[in-house]
Amino acid sequence: MVGLSTGEKRFIHGGIAQDLRSDGRKRLHFRPFCVETGVIPQANGSARVRLGATDVIVSIKAELGKPSSFQPDKGKVAIFVDCSPTAAPEFEGRGGEELSSELSFALERCFLGGKTGAGAGIDLSSLIIVEGKVCWDLYIDGLVVSSDGNLLDALAAAIKVALSNTGIPKVNVDLGPSPDDQPEVDVSDEEFLQFDTSGVPVVVTLTKVGRHYIVDATLEEESQMSSAVSVSVNRHGHICGLTKRGGAGLDPSVILDMISVAKHVSQNLISVLDSEIAAAEANAKE
Amino acid sequence: MRDLQLPLNQTQRVRLQAALQQLQDLASQASASSLVTVADTIPVNNEDGILKGHGTSELDGQVVATLCGVVERVNKLVYVRSLRARYKPEVGDIIVGRVIEIAPKRWRLEINFSQDAVLMLSSMNLPDGIQRRRTAVDELNMRSIFEENDVVCAEVRGFQHDGSLHLQARSQKYGKLERGQLLTVPAYLVKRRKQHFHRLEQYCVDLILGCNGFIWVGEHLETGENDMLEDREKRPEISKTNMIHEEQERTFTPLEVRRHICRIANAVRLLSALGFILTVESIIDTVEASASSNIEIKDMLGPEFYVQTVEREVQRRILLSRKKG
Amino acid sequence: MEYVNPLTGFRLDGRRPNEMRQIRGEIGVVAKADGSALFEMGNTKVIAAVYGPREVQNKGQQINNRALVRCEYSMANFSTGDRRRRPKGDRRSTEISLVIRQTMEACILTHLLPHSQIDIFVQVLQADGGTRSACINAATLALADAGIPMRDIVTSCSAGYLCSTPLLDLNYIEDSAGGPDVTVGMLAKMDKVTLLQMDAKLPMDIFENVMQLAIEGCKAVAHYIREVLLEHTKQLECHRGA
Repeated sequence: MVGLSTGEKRFIHGGIAQDLRSDGRKRLHFRPFCVETGVIPQANGSARVRLGATDVIVSIKAELGKPSSFQPDKGKVAIFVDCSPTAAPEFEGRGGEELSSELSFALERCFLGGKTGAGAGIDLSSLIIVEGKVCWDLYIDGLVVSSDGNLLDALAAAIKVALSNTGIPKVNVDLGPSPDDQPEVDVSDEEFLQFDTSGVPVVVTLTKVGRHYIVDATLEEESQMSSAVSVSVNRHGHICGLTKRGGAGLDPSVILDMISVAKHVSQNLISVLDSEIAAAEANAKE
Repeated sequence: MRDLQLPLNQTQRVRLQAALQQLQDLASQASASSLVTVADTIPVNNEDGILKGHGTSELDGQVVATLCGVVERVNKLVYVRSLRARYKPEVGDIIVGRVIEIAPKRWRLEINFSQDAVLMLSSMNLPDGIQRRRTAVDELNMRSIFEENDVVCAEVRGFQHDGSLHLQARSQKYGKLERGQLLTVPAYLVKRRKQHFHRLEQYCVDLILGCNGFIWVGEHLETGENDMLEDREKRPEISKTNMIHEEQERTFTPLEVRRHICRIANAVRLLSALGFILTVESIIDTVEASASSNIEIKDMLGPEFYVQTVEREVQRRILLSRKKG
Repeated sequence: MEYVNPLTGFRLDGRRPNEMRQIRGEIGVVAKADGSALFEMGNTKVIAAVYGPREVQNKGQQINNRALVRCEYSMANFSTGDRRRRPKGDRRSTEISLVIRQTMEACILTHLLPHSQIDIFVQVLQADGGTRSACINAATLALADAGIPMRDIVTSCSAGYLCSTPLLDLNYIEDSAGGPDVTVGMLAKMDKVTLLQMDAKLPMDIFENVMQLAIEGCKAVAHYIREVLLEHTKQLECHRGA
């Protein structure tokens, strides 16, 4: 991460204050999304999202597992993010671990519900096979290949696209004679059920610089932030998760304003992503 | 191209392919045969006493390329001009760099070279403008001239014994650059010309094309305003923590100038992503084309203008080859 | 298990014993790196990014008369068939990082870039056998893209011996069969072998055949890499204009 001189910092602040950022965007404009699906053929679902110079790959694998005893009627989802050293030399060795864990936790907060599994953006009860005994474990792995700011939004968008590309294999369950027996599950290689992604949220991160907030900050703009609020919103306008980053204090009215701005921006983002997903699927079929 | 990944629709894709194909056809036949990759043999006439320059080495009596690029022959010198590589400095080049570190009596600058460059305190004009010997007090006050992360424009003075560069910034036109943005492009896209400082009157913008691939686009400041002495007096005012937001807003770059700066910066980003050589003329052409087609600044980096720029370049090169031919 | 069908002579994926998988190389996948490349050998997909030559970050490691070459190999969590969390810095990654570094260091003309540092980062996206070879091939492309002077193009390929037949370019199933796996890295034009690794046992004369097969594979990869580089250079030059 290169530093910025005082003159450049003031130029960025000035641009955001005057609603004309360094690359000509307005405060609430996203960079163009470039979406590809099925980039990892051996996974159940995968996607690659490019947002400017930010490049992330998400892969989803479904494996058979046992549901937790606290929620026997729900499947399990785990989200892991890895920052590859190809994105920046600073991520070499263990250098990217802090950022990776921060992103993983933020994504879990946005997509999965509370500890009881209630209110998750992903419908966990659709992952159950035999209540209390067998369920699907979804492993969502994100990889940051190149970084130019706004990793959280790009990863969340990639997760949404990958989920729409995911096929959960059909299973034939043989329950066995007694209720205590471990059921035998036969995983079909041929048939797949498409995952239902209508309820999956997107994440919009609002970065506060000076008195104004911007969406989709580049790496340079992020270095000037005083704080950032990431809001996860779904199609119906419901908030699925919230994270505030950065040490500066925010007035509660400002936070409420940021949330409403995020909701407003997210509707547009959802429609853009939906059309990108449809285009990518059309391309894949060709 | 690697820097801009754009969602092109079908018609745009077809137009782009056609335009790129025309560019390839226009490329001169001679250059196609002199392309080499690593470990290719370069045909030379051994009796002529050929000098082997950059990017070549000898293997079994044959001259072999060590880089991917184009073979250039100048009299008896044979060398390989590489494309995407780090900056190759020459004495007298005008470059833009960023201060990484302040060391005793010198600043270390990052300039897209294999090593950091050095700007000695003695190669820099003092704030009071008097030519005198640098004292210990001057050494302690180096931060008042350049701080860490400042963007500086300087000239290459020479090479040090360990291969790193010596810079000098004695003239008025060199020095700290503020009120603008710095862009990084591959160094091979900036040709060495007589002029690297461009004052674009119609936009009130300063454009500096550093030979090392760092391009500065900023608000034009009268040379008086950029003077070190005045800067120091202004400095207590500019301290951000003391100012409230309204006062800050008064000192921001005015919106009109900012629009021009962003347009020019986007033109530079677009041309470098396409791999077209950067000259003032091509940058201004791109800016004017975008303004005349009423394309918004942010859409300059969008798919439509991307394809239009390639098509325009094809036309320009056709005209150029007709004039020559 | 019949790795080579005795009647038709085809392998499990339909290849002949001396046939390599489909290879594909793409230059310029990571915008911010000085040089980068994607290399695919069948289903094995690897990205390499090169940062440098730049100022040495850790002055203690600086070498006065040549460049310092560093390399890191990492595998994505989703890269293998069974998804596994990979701890960073585990022994296999360290060993492969060392192998790639030594191979590339031998071919980079480090004495031309004293007091500088070259970082090579390799990221495996999909592993289906032959990851070591794919990494070296990707690193060669990335170094050439970054304009770093090299002695020669380094390429790598693996070969094995199953069902009494030398097989070229093993995939994961063939690799885990328990037979020998010979990885060869060579300087294509100078015809010199820079990397040679083998596990399991092989009689001497069969070893020679297997190694020769791997060398043939390396030469084929070098031919392809040279074409990719030439095409890329041609594109850059023609876009640049006069």
